[in-house]
Amino acid sequence: MTAISAKGLSKYYGPIKALDNLSLEVPENVVFGFLGPNGAGKTTTVKLLTGFAHPTAGEARVAGEKVGDGNLNLQSKIGLLPDVPAFYDWMSGREFLHFVGELHGLMPDEIKQRTEELLELVELKKAGNRRTGTFSRGMRQRLGIAQALINRPQVLFLDEPTSALDPLGRRDILNLILRLRENTTIFMSSHNLSDIERVCDMVGIVDKGKLITVSTVEALQKKYARSIFEMEFMEDTGSFVESLKKIPWLVEPAIVTANGAPIVRVRAVDIDRARKELPRIISESGLTLTRYELALPSIEEIFMEIMTNGDKQ
Amino acid sequence: MKGFAPLFKKEIREQLKLYRLVIVLGVFLLFGLSSPLTLKYLPDLLKMAGDQGMIIQLPTPTAAQSLASYAGDIGQIGALVAVLVAMGCIANELKSGTAFIILSKPITRSAFVSAKLLAVSLTFLVSMVVASLVCFAYTVWLIQGEAVLPFVGLNLLLGLFLVFCLAVTVLFSSLYKSSLAAGGIALGVIIVQGIISTLPVIGKYMPGKLLDWGTNLLTGGDKSYWWALGITIVAIGLCIYFSQRFLKNRDL
Repeated sequence: MTAISAKGLSKYYGPIKALDNLSLEVPENVVFGFLGPNGAGKTTTVKLLTGFAHPTAGEARVAGEKVGDGNLNLQSKIGLLPDVPAFYDWMSGREFLHFVGELHGLMPDEIKQRTEELLELVELKKAGNRRTGTFSRGMRQRLGIAQALINRPQVLFLDEPTSALDPLGRRDILNLILRLRENTTIFMSSHNLSDIERVCDMVGIVDKGKLITVSTVEALQKKYARSIFEMEFMEDTGSFVESLKKIPWLVEPAIVTANGAPIVRVRAVDIDRARKELPRIISESGLTLTRYELALPSIEEIFMEIMTNGDKQ
Repeated sequence: MKGFAPLFKKEIREQLKLYRLVIVLGVFLLFGLSSPLTLKYLPDLLKMAGDQGMIIQLPTPTAAQSLASYAGDIGQIGALVAVLVAMGCIANELKSGTAFIILSKPITRSAFVSAKLLAVSLTFLVSMVVASLVCFAYTVWLIQGEAVLPFVGLNLLLGLFLVFCLAVTVLFSSLYKSSLAAGGIALGVIIVQGIISTLPVIGKYMPGKLLDWGTNLLTGGDKSYWWALGITIVAIGLCIYFSQRFLKNRDL
């Protein structure tokens, strides 16, 4: 089933197209990474999908609910972490979660239980009674995630969830996102490419208000794979390279030197066939293999290529 | 009005935690005490400060004078305090981003606005009741006189006028992210309606006329302004309605 669906969603501020004709389908229980440089339209998209901004054109459905017109059923089914979460400074973290539980209409016992569970989850149990006005940026981010989870949302929107966190905090939040994936669809906007690569199943790349590409991470890596295989052996590889030259679906086999070690590098015309047959060819050569790698591009490399050259058709 | 109860509870706690009740009560008590004290002891003060040869004749102070003086102070300074206290109630939440988190929950915009207006109105009404009781007690003790029923009537009208000032301020607070802009425009509206209320023909329809009606009650005058009363109540309702409409229609 589809958790998030948008058709022709657009938001114009006068002549500025903050978001232009976004059409998107996100299946249930995936982590969807929404990538783009600053000002690309990521936060605008989150606001449009959560009903906080009114689209100039188009429509969206989230968790089966139509977005807009003050649809409170939608708000019951989603959780939202804004890019800069803000709280009432005079309230403690525990009080704030309790208050948010009341706004969701949870029963008192459930609120109490859920508050303690979430404080534990985001590691704020000890600081739970401290006023949020004294919280660090990282603590506010954790509390922001906790308040977004209090109603066990079907769809969770996270706008730059790791932006204010130190490396340890970032790791914890990413692990948390991975755990939540079992029951929740997560729409995560970020410009942190390594975070996206680590937790996301699907990626959408947006730039200047336009959605450039949407795909699974795997398909995207395959699409942008450079189809170059690298191998290292313990023995001399001259005759092996000569034998590779006779194979029609391999081109330009060569011995290159990297970090002082000779490496056999070859480009495959048919990458799927090369993946299947190269290991057998190596095995038949009788050489001792020490490294074998298909140079798959990172999300960062794909992102940079798309930003520079546009999407590959 | 989904979510009204927890929002109202939170707003009441905020009135206490941020000392708004203490501040408003303090200001109102100051007026409640100063009116009867000033009237009672002004002749003595003038005698002490004046030239030996000069004779200043002051009429004997009356209870109505004392209570009317208190009402005048609350009607003017109280309105200013109302604007100052309420001008940030929504604007600050829009600016800081707390509104973004709170309104992402299943609550209606009308509950959000009404809870704020009701809580801040209670702060003012409680402060006014306490200050009025103190003023009345001091007036009876120092000046004597009986005007219980007219004074109750005056306070009801005064209270309604202050709620009107608060509602206007809340309305503009939902329109602007700057609390200063919201407060400035609200104050302008209150001043303009106050000026219009002094004009013939249309003046009798203005909420500011409620203050004149209250003073009339004390002095035994028989002029009443029912139109102003009705229009004030409708205006408060319209402020709540448009405030939640503005919040619904704006991009956060």
